[in-house]
Amino acid sequence: MSAPEPNPALRDKYAIAGTGTSRLGQVPDVSSLGLMEEASANALADAGLTAKDIDGLLVRGPDDVYTFHQVLGERLGINASFSTTTANGGASQILSVILAVMAIDAGLASVVLCGFGRDAWSRTHRTEQARISGATRSAAMETQEFGPEYGLFGAPAMHAFGARRHMHEFGTTREHFGAISLAFREHAQRNPQAQMHGRPLTMEDYLAARMIVEPFCLLDCSLRSDGAGAVIVTTTERARDMPQKPVLIKGFGTHNNLRGWFDGDNMLRTAAGPSGMRAYAMAGLGPKDIDCAQIYDCFTYMVLTQLEDYGFCKKGEGGDFVSSGALRLDGALPTNTSGGQLSETHNEGMLQIVEGARQLQGIYGPDRQVKGAETCLVSGHGGNTVCHSSLILGTA
Amino acid sequence: MAKEYTKPLPHPAPESEPFWTAARQHKLKIQKCKSCGSHWFPPAAHCPECLSADHDWIEASGRGRVFSFVTYQRLYNKGWEGEVPYVVALIELDEGPRLLSNLTGIEPEDVACDMAVKVVFDDVTPEVTLPKFTPA
Repeated sequence: MSAPEPNPALRDKYAIAGTGTSRLGQVPDVSSLGLMEEASANALADAGLTAKDIDGLLVRGPDDVYTFHQVLGERLGINASFSTTTANGGASQILSVILAVMAIDAGLASVVLCGFGRDAWSRTHRTEQARISGATRSAAMETQEFGPEYGLFGAPAMHAFGARRHMHEFGTTREHFGAISLAFREHAQRNPQAQMHGRPLTMEDYLAARMIVEPFCLLDCSLRSDGAGAVIVTTTERARDMPQKPVLIKGFGTHNNLRGWFDGDNMLRTAAGPSGMRAYAMAGLGPKDIDCAQIYDCFTYMVLTQLEDYGFCKKGEGGDFVSSGALRLDGALPTNTSGGQLSETHNEGMLQIVEGARQLQGIYGPDRQVKGAETCLVSGHGGNTVCHSSLILGTA
Repeated sequence: MAKEYTKPLPHPAPESEPFWTAARQHKLKIQKCKSCGSHWFPPAAHCPECLSADHDWIEASGRGRVFSFVTYQRLYNKGWEGEVPYVVALIELDEGPRLLSNLTGIEPEDVACDMAVKVVFDDVTPEVTLPKFTPA
């Protein structure tokens, strides 16, 4: 049995024709569905469409809302020929775009709305009861053994295991992680929508921040946010007749280290490696051809390892790469140009697809626009830290 | 009189029961495939290498190394009140499988990746014993 090969015939055949976001940050007056309605309406307006034009709906919400796509479709007034809720954590959002392309290519849909919405901040702040319980997930979703009895709680610890091992094997330091946090915080100062707009950061601030789960401090961890994002996917041919400049889908890939974060070298060499190889192969591009990147930044370390896994530098040299200033707007690889999940809004990577598309549409002023960007790599990572999806976007 | 134990206790899946029963007897047991000889953890009905359902629960050497570890500086659960900072370590057993545990007999700042450890047993309640690890 030979290994499957990504199909280059899909390159540039499909496009993102519109983008939209909801209000971001602290939006207690609506639920995850309400946020998703806002983002969907904005994406449809951006693409010059109405809900009646949509025949595919691929979305994700909080894990405890059963068949999120159905309840959203009910609110948007959409019956869809192709629709599901994706369940691959932070890898779900690019996966929705991938499934949209595959569905259109198979003749199962023609114009697909992909999105993510979650009221993560309001879940622990909307009411006094929510504040006391502090729970973002229902108890039945929690691990039952081999973790909680030893005091293992929360996403920071899981990712911190990888950070610690990387520090041990490659001499990576907290200052390296800090360089990532600072680069994205600087970008947030250019983005009025960002939760951390108006709150610049220095390395001194970073090193003085309170520790959460060592080696991570507060500023290694992404934000808790309400928010939603959406994009419209259709054929490039059709997108050319729509109001916005189409953003070409040049390549995509996925990989899932389902044997787990603790298996083998998975916490040091993530699923971004094989996922990226597939995306590069479909796009006919390599890391040197990428002009800017939106890298899934649930925690600083995950950016560092993905930069290595995608081949922007060698394995183990991510610390030097990020400390060189490469991630800055004027750097070798402007990354998370909105501020990312560390400083704009945590939206499980959906807003990073939106930001990648908008950079390639060239909609920003000179303070935020990546000069001459023709390609952007977007990554999504999650599903117990091992599921990955990659998207390479390009200008039309 | 022992003070009340307030940390979460394991809720074993049916496949895990032999692990916890052995722990109560101060034995660290893991599964070994009778077909291909692989060891695995966490417990599962079939060998993840060859999918054979034919396996033994063998007593592991109890020796291994710290593959990685994290140090909690923030209280996530009231059961650890007054015990922060504490370490959760990923132990790689000499037999190969990795499992999460706590380290005893060592301060958090002295823990390092790859340090050699051996199992000890903590009878946290009359019904539940947690395998933990200490420097070897």
